[in-house]
Formats: sequence, structure tokens, C-alpha cells
Amino acid sequence: MTVLDSIAAKLGTAEPWVQKGGVSWLDPCPLNVRNLAKAMNALNARFVTITAYQLPAGEGFRLEYHWDLDGQMLGFPYRLSGNSIESIYDLCEAADWIEREVHEGFAVDFLGRDYEPLLLRPGDKLGVNLREEVVR
Amino acid sequence: MSYKIPMGPFHPALEEPYKLDMICEGETVVDAKLHIGFNFRGIEHLAETRNYVQVIALMERVCGICSNIHTLTLCQAMEQLTGLKPPPRALYIRVVMAELERLHSHVLWAGIACKLMGFKTMFMTCFALREKVMDVLQAISGNRVNYSMNRIGGVNRDIPDPLALLPVIDQLEREIVRTVIPILTTSVTARSRCAGIGILTREKAVSCGVVGPTARASGLPQDLRRAAPYAAYSELEFDVPVETAGDVRARLLVRALEILESCRILRQALAKMPPGEFHAEDTKLVFTAGTAVSRVEAPRGEVMYSVSWKENSRNPSRVHVRTPTFANMPAIRWMVAGARLADTPLIQASIDPCYSCTDR
Repeated sequence: MTVLDSIAAKLGTAEPWVQKGGVSWLDPCPLNVRNLAKAMNALNARFVTITAYQLPAGEGFRLEYHWDLDGQMLGFPYRLSGNSIESIYDLCEAADWIEREVHEGFAVDFLGRDYEPLLLRPGDKLGVNLREEVVR
Repeated sequence: MSYKIPMGPFHPALEEPYKLDMICEGETVVDAKLHIGFNFRGIEHLAETRNYVQVIALMERVCGICSNIHTLTLCQAMEQLTGLKPPPRALYIRVVMAELERLHSHVLWAGIACKLMGFKTMFMTCFALREKVMDVLQAISGNRVNYSMNRIGGVNRDIPDPLALLPVIDQLEREIVRTVIPILTTSVTARSRCAGIGILTREKAVSCGVVGPTARASGLPQDLRRAAPYAAYSELEFDVPVETAGDVRARLLVRALEILESCRILRQALAKMPPGEFHAEDTKLVFTAGTAVSRVEAPRGEVMYSVSWKENSRNPSRVHVRTPTFANMPAIRWMVAGARLADTPLIQASIDPCYSCTDR
């Protein structure tokens, strides 16, 4: 059993890991983000970041959670039909700033936490920096 | 009675914009809040409007110190999407540039740290040394800041006679060993200003997910050059310095030792550089649709690029940059807690923060 297989077993899934673009992806991830964070903490994995994408035609967002385990990059994508997902800040302090950045840049709401502005842009409107409608 | 002292939004020593609101009781800091984003440039957003050549020039400007690292990480990600592999010589040249940049960054940081300690002679000494490193970078690339060395599938310029650089590296190392390292590690001034202050415990370092010298000074032996080797690092021997005290002095020691390791890596890379082409054959690039992630150990720690491409597009559809300072800065809150107010500028500087990178 490889390390990745043993991680998948701990996460309770038989889904195969897909090696693509320098990341071992588990898609779909059988756990919600909070249980994933607990499982990654138990494995002593290091939280790296969340990469957010706005899906076209109002289909919501895709958030990719990146964790590092001994130099191996693990990726867990989550598709949001709305604009909210549970926060993992209380489980993983390192997620604080990137949750705040995604909140300010894409207006994604991380449930269960308060925000202080990162001041990434002036004004009080959320989701103006990296949203598609501004780009096009 | 507690009171709030705002430091910023212009750092008194690093001369970059961010703000630290410190809650103090007497001279002691009890808590702090950080505010960033004063220099937000929307570079990730702008990258979506640039083609695969222009985006390299754009991302080189994310940071003024580790500009080469940003193009290296981006090009590595784009190489995954195009399937273009750099030839072996290019991988060695990338190592040479990356380690020269680390030298330049660490010596610059040492100079600024000395200035904050009130050690202005050492500031001048460090900056004079940094000039010599920059002279080497200029001799190789023709540029002093944005080197324009990386391209998809290799590098833009060769190092025609790598062995000619060896005496320069020897001389640099001699001067650093003779002046910078002994003074920074043994002088009473440096010791009294750095030892036991700004402590980040191992547990807090894990919890905050800090990277680079900040993590290694808190006992975490993480270094992507070792854990996930890229370019030619897997063929080179080097140690990863780790200190356990977690204070400003430990961060200083880690960087000092890393300077020596960089010289060791440079000597090997220059001596072992294989002959041949320094970039892949010029061809029309075809990007596969999807996402590629690349990570590199920058002077300040891990840089990560996540680059996405849509089919038949010349522009990336998304470029996400996670810079090391973005990971390290939140830990400042824990480093300054319990510190004397007068020590806080040095504590903040001890992570070698780059606000330009952080704000992007």
C-alpha cells in the first residue's frame, strides 16, 4: 500500500488519487472541509493554501485545498453551487488569511468565523478583485 | 492600563506598507493585529489578460528581491502544461540563479537587521557585499533586479564559462565568513538584541504553517529543495540548517548557515554544469487545458503557483500565487506577544517580510 493509498484509507474512500499537474488529487473528496482538515492535522500535513476559481455562467465556485505531506502536494477540490463553505480556521490557523482573501476577492463566505478586512481593496463591496465579471 | 500603538501603515525600517496595531501594557506588547493590502496591485487578475510570454514578465514583478524565483515557479508550472522539458544545462543555470538570489536576499536582510539593531557599520558592510552578488547576477543576466532568465523550456541566457565564476564565489564566501557571520553570531550587540526575543515555538510554527527560514529556526526541517527537489537540486549535496530556539537569533543563524550552503551549492552547480543547449527547441507551444501547480524554495520560503489554462487559449485563465510572506506574516502576532515595544521592529523584520509579494 502506498502512502497515498493509506491516506485514502484513513479518509475512508476508495477513490483513486489522480496525479496531475504536480499534485495528487482526490476528486471527489469524500469528507467535508472540516473533517478533511481534522484528518490532515492527524497526519501532520501542512496546510498550504486555497485556490479559488469562479465558474462560468453563475455556476458557483471551485475551491482547491492544498496540503503538503512530506513534500508531496495533495489537492482536494470542492465545488460550491452557492457562495458559502465551512471555515476551517478554528482547526487550522494557517487558513486564516487565505480564507479572508478568498472572501474579499470572490465574496465566498466561510461559515463559522468572523472577518477582519485584509484591506485588499478600498470600499466595502466584497468580491470585486478576482471576479469574472470584472475581468471580462 | 492597556493602550494601542499603531505601527504603520509604513514600516519604519523596511520602508514598505503594512500596519501592526499593538496592544501594550506599559512597554510590553500583549497582543497585535496585522493589516495588509495597502499596495494591492491585482497581479493575479492582470495575469489573466497576458499571454504566455507576457505573463512571465508580469510575474517577475511580483517581488523586487526574489523576482527570479517567481518566473522559475511560473515556468515550471507552464512546462507541465506544455510538456516542454528544459535541458540539463538549463536546470543547472536555474540553480545558479536561484542560489545567487538567495545570497543576495539573505545578505540584504542581514544588512537591514543590522540597521535595526543600531549596527550601521555592518549595514554598510552587508550592502557592499550584496553589491558584489548583484554584480555576478548582472554579469550573467545583464540585469540587476528583474533578470529575465527563465522561459518555458529553459533559460534565456547561457553561462558560457561557469568555472570563471568560481573564484568570485570563493571571494564572496571568504568575505562573508570573515566579516558578516562572526559579527552577527558572536558580537554582544547582535546577541543582546536578538537572543530570546520574538520567540515562535515549534508548536505555533506548525499551527501557523510558516515556511522557509522562519520554520527552520523553530525546529521544522522543511525545505522543498530537499523534500520535493526541482531544477538540478536532486544532483547536488547540501545541508538544511535547522535551529530550535525559535527566536530572532535562531532566524539569523539559519540564514547565516544558509549563506554558506548556498556557496556550497553554487560551487557544485558551476563545476558540474553539463554542456549542451540551455533551452528547449523553439516551437509553437500548445497548452493542455487544466491546472498545474509548482513550488520552489525561495529565500523566504515556499512559493507556490497554481496556473490554469483553457483550451486553445494564449492566456492563463487563472494564476494563483501563494508567497512565503503570506504564510509567515500572521505568525508575527505570536512573536511580538510579550515582547518589549522597542524590539518589535526587529521581530517583524526577522521573518524577512516582503509586502510587495504579500499584497501582489
